[in-house]
Amino acid sequence: MDPLRLNRVTDLLADAGGPPVLERLMGACVEVLSVTGAGVAVIGDGQHRGAVAVSDPICGDVDDLQFSLGEGPCIDANHSDSPVLEPDLALAFGQWPAFAPAALALGVRAVFSFPLRVGAVDLGVLSLYRDIAGDLEPEDLRDAIALSRVATHLLLEVEAAIPPGALPARLAEVIDHRSVVHQATGMIAAQLDTDVATALIRLRAYAWTNDRSIDSVATEVVGRRLRFDDG
Amino acid sequence: MTDSQRLSQVFVELADTLVTEFDVVEFLTTLADRCVELLKAKEAGVVLADEQGVLRSVASSNETARLLDLFELQNQQGPCLDCYRTGQRLVNQSLDDQPERWPQFGPEARRLGFSVVHALPMRLRGRVIGAVNIFGGDGEPLSEADVDIGQALADIATVGLLQERTLREARVLNEQLQAALTSRVAIEQAKGMLAERRQIEMDAAFALLRSYARRTNQRLKDVAQALLTGTLSADVLDHR
Repeated sequence: MDPLRLNRVTDLLADAGGPPVLERLMGACVEVLSVTGAGVAVIGDGQHRGAVAVSDPICGDVDDLQFSLGEGPCIDANHSDSPVLEPDLALAFGQWPAFAPAALALGVRAVFSFPLRVGAVDLGVLSLYRDIAGDLEPEDLRDAIALSRVATHLLLEVEAAIPPGALPARLAEVIDHRSVVHQATGMIAAQLDTDVATALIRLRAYAWTNDRSIDSVATEVVGRRLRFDDG
Repeated sequence: MTDSQRLSQVFVELADTLVTEFDVVEFLTTLADRCVELLKAKEAGVVLADEQGVLRSVASSNETARLLDLFELQNQQGPCLDCYRTGQRLVNQSLDDQPERWPQFGPEARRLGFSVVHALPMRLRGRVIGAVNIFGGDGEPLSEADVDIGQALADIATVGLLQERTLREARVLNEQLQAALTSRVAIEQAKGMLAERRQIEMDAAFALLRSYARRTNQRLKDVAQALLTGTLSADVLDHR
């Protein structure tokens, strides 16, 4: 990383009076790389679990999409253990038939996701978003990889600072927020006499086919205004 | 192959193991073997200080009991102890020259056929965490260049240990986080499943799960998982 960039990153990280350090790193990514958004997410059991830090709310929305739709670059990067670089989502409908159009609608045109790993341990994914199409410049790509290593260490620090069984603050909020979806999943599993994995697929499919958010469908299921069986 | 080609090969070999998942004892044993080879020594070993500052042998080029005892002995006296205490390298120490320096270690090492010893410090963030112990016969003394190679190998050993510690920590922290996420999701799903099966409200379902867990002395997340996987039936949750 060139000295000017490195200085800028360290200045931004050193500002202890501001937001939490991982969030500061997201801000630093946006500032020094030519991207418009950045976020660190945790993937578990192949599912998007939530973002630990984002540079702005739109990144949070893009992350939520990947949970709602069950597909996206974060999930793929985690699954393949290698970077997923998509310079133009308008050309990625084949790869992400649900995520690509939805992300475009949020104003995201390019996405670059980097798995955060220590040895064989997958800690999460760093995603960079941009509102215009185009590849990452070679020096930005190189610096993104360097910053992903920093993100790995900071994520470990965040996790080390909380007691076992606890969740980092933003992640805990996301999980809370999604509880209605998980409750609905359990209800659907009972209604269809199937497992929760299948129930989640059915819930997502219903939301997608009816052009509705998974949250609103889940709320209806939990409110007992919508059933997935003939009961 | 030339000496320097072999040297490069060894460094690449050791660096590669640092990148992939590796076994620290295997790594340090390989390191001890390479020390012997590159420095044309007789035997080598790695000793590390535990939390109480007791030096323990963790790897050796040879597993013979007498050699291992020689490492152990160095908790009272010997080149490793001196090196550990001072953080300075000990090079080309002849076992004949100062017999009173190590009154027990010296003769014992001599009995095993060694005539010269070296100890190179392993430092981590300014602290000495252990030493690489090298035993030689009646060959040539180690040159400056040889010592540098030996120290480089000791430094690689230190990096390897730090890496292993980070890896272990990452594994533990990640498992804890994933477990916390999985159980929170499972509890919400179990609430929904129970609420549907028994046609009750979410809060009531949660109360039922919690009281069953308490009565049967189980963790809430385990009860939730059991319900989701079908090993626990919704009927069993009632208070009899």
